Amino acid sequence: MAYEPPVTDYDEIVENCTCAFCGSNCDDVDILVKDNHVVGVRHACRLGASKIMEDEDQRLTVPMIRDENGELMEVDWDTALDRAAELIAGAVRPVFYGWSETSIEAMKPGLELTELVGAVIDNQATICHGPTVQAVQNVGYPLMTLGEVKNRADMVVYTGSNPMNAHPRHLARYTTFPKGFFRKRGRFDRTLVTWDPKYSDTAKLSDIWIPFEENGDYGFCNAIRAVLKGKELKQDFISGIPKEDIVALTEKMKNTQFGALFFGLGLTHTLSKQRNIDIAIQLVQDLNKYTKWVLLPMRGHFNVNGFNIFMAYEMGFPYGVDFCRGYPRYMIGETTTIDLLNRKECDVFMVIAADPGAHFPGGALAHLVDIPVIQIDIHWGPSTELADVVLPGTFIGVETAGTSYRMDSVPIYMKKAIDPPETCREDEWIVNELLQRVKKIKEASK
Amino acid sequence: MQANRGDVNVKQITLTPIKFSSVALEFDELIPDEIYSWSKEDFEKYEVPVGNSRFPLTDYYDIEVEGEAQSPEEVKMIIDGDAGRVKYIGGKMGAGEIIVNGDADLQAGAEMEGGSLTINGNAESYCGREMRGGEITVMGNVREYAGTSYIGEWRGMSGGKLTIHGNAGKQLADAMSGGEIHVMGNCDILAGIHMTKGFIQIDGDVTRWPGGQMKNGAIVINGRLERLLEGFELDAIVTDPEVEGRQFTGKYIKYIGDIGVNGKGTLLLNAEKNRHHL
Repeated sequence: MAYEPPVTDYDEIVENCTCAFCGSNCDDVDILVKDNHVVGVRHACRLGASKIMEDEDQRLTVPMIRDENGELMEVDWDTALDRAAELIAGAVRPVFYGWSETSIEAMKPGLELTELVGAVIDNQATICHGPTVQAVQNVGYPLMTLGEVKNRADMVVYTGSNPMNAHPRHLARYTTFPKGFFRKRGRFDRTLVTWDPKYSDTAKLSDIWIPFEENGDYGFCNAIRAVLKGKELKQDFISGIPKEDIVALTEKMKNTQFGALFFGLGLTHTLSKQRNIDIAIQLVQDLNKYTKWVLLPMRGHFNVNGFNIFMAYEMGFPYGVDFCRGYPRYMIGETTTIDLLNRKECDVFMVIAADPGAHFPGGALAHLVDIPVIQIDIHWGPSTELADVVLPGTFIGVETAGTSYRMDSVPIYMKKAIDPPETCREDEWIVNELLQRVKKIKEASK
Repeated sequence: MQANRGDVNVKQITLTPIKFSSVALEFDELIPDEIYSWSKEDFEKYEVPVGNSRFPLTDYYDIEVEGEAQSPEEVKMIIDGDAGRVKYIGGKMGAGEIIVNGDADLQAGAEMEGGSLTINGNAESYCGREMRGGEITVMGNVREYAGTSYIGEWRGMSGGKLTIHGNAGKQLADAMSGGEIHVMGNCDILAGIHMTKGFIQIDGDVTRWPGGQMKNGAIVINGRLERLLEGFELDAIVTDPEVEGRQFTGKYIKYIGDIGVNGKGTLLLNAEKNRHHL
């Protein structure tokens, strides 16, 4: 990596900003500003810094509508908002997807709009930690805050996740390296364990690596639970791991003072889905008979957890909430975005602060091509190519302040550092405008 | 058309599909308990929920009504064609009979309390969810979560009988607390997970992990099981066992589990086909 000299040419430093990238929500980021532009970022990881720095690249700045020739044409805000409101008001099975990269403040009018038109509201959990949320509903949530891990944990387990690549500051800021109140020597006072079929960058750093086979998570956790209950394991290898290793690991886990288990999509999206999390949670409950253990999902987007908390608080269901019959319903496979698209049920799709064009499976995207798509976002991306109405929003945490929830459910108020481009509007304003305009159309048609 | 069942006079309602809707129709209001007193005109006036709207049922179906009914028990409703986009067929029904001559969509027989539902095709996921009574027969396959609980709920199917002539998908009968399921074909992972009571019989092969975290109840597998969980302890080899009042012939390997949750559930594997577990 080439040496990059430090940035010295700036007007001011905005201190203690919150990084709007992953679920670690690092709130110690300093943003260097010159002429209302970000010229440098301090303390953030490369992922966070590049998101904040390269924001101007491919930025959506004006509202657009796709014309008869299939080209996106620039229009004024009124025209674009009216067109979007018409589409939403006339839909039979609208889906409002996204929300994980915007603030709680924008979700509030979004939920009101969903209720008004009888839509489905869903977020990225539907393709990431949805199974986690289901398992938590089934068997509970033995969670903690990341501060507790920093100050107390002497064993940290990562499974099905690779934070060195996906949450780069997670080990450095919260779990493994920092010196804590009871862990004065930092890394030396902790045992780092990775359970992962892959020899990931996190596994390379670990003291113990358990490479169980793919899809073997459920059988592996079940075996540890059996050992904890005093059973002598019968099979020589369980999920590809020798039984002696499982017994030795179980002993280590029993003899820690404070253990923390972190899991990612490697656990939520293998064969037995939510049951992997279900049994991991119960394993943690079992371990609490011997010592203190906690568990936390490695949430991806900076506010994906916020949406689930907001929805669960407001409506009782965390994601994929369907208001088509006037009351909230929630059923995986029935009221979730991918299934509604795969089944070609959805007839108007609004995406806010998400990029389904880059992440959805082919079948779902094929249907998005056929139906009107409204996009509220800050960047030109694959979803823009699918969009019929484009409404440019602002960047939460850099251009607009707002509230988000960290992966451990701690709410964090994100400051703004610069002003947004003049032609863009805040997400909250856009969603609220849509709500008012749809209300007017509904009242006129009564 | 014959409009009686045995010696009881029945009201026969026949719905013949004329138009397909890609947005699923919801039939939770079209159950014998609601419609036993409806005339043909009532059906023609009825608007069926489709997405966030309601449209006339006559847009989608030709409706025929024959005979009279004094109670839901005397109703026989036939959906004479594919209902692959009709959800909640027989949802919460308490009596009477529904026959689907084709596939059924999600939630067929969900929260059913009585009566009978026959699907002469395949059923989508959540068939017989939280079923409390009555009988469901699926002549084809079912997808995931048949006889299961509401998402996040820890109490699933508690009564009635679900018979599947084809194969069953993943996580059959999650959190089952009563009733009976008979799968005549194969079954995918985690049948009877979190089960506390009830009976599951699978005649075909099973991929992995039946009875994960089961506390009680019984699962009988007559085919080959690939992977067994460590949470099951070998109890005995039994001959001609009787399980929950049903007699089985031949040798079976009996396991007790899942010990991870101090479970006392019974898992019986056909000994001939499961020698590899001994």
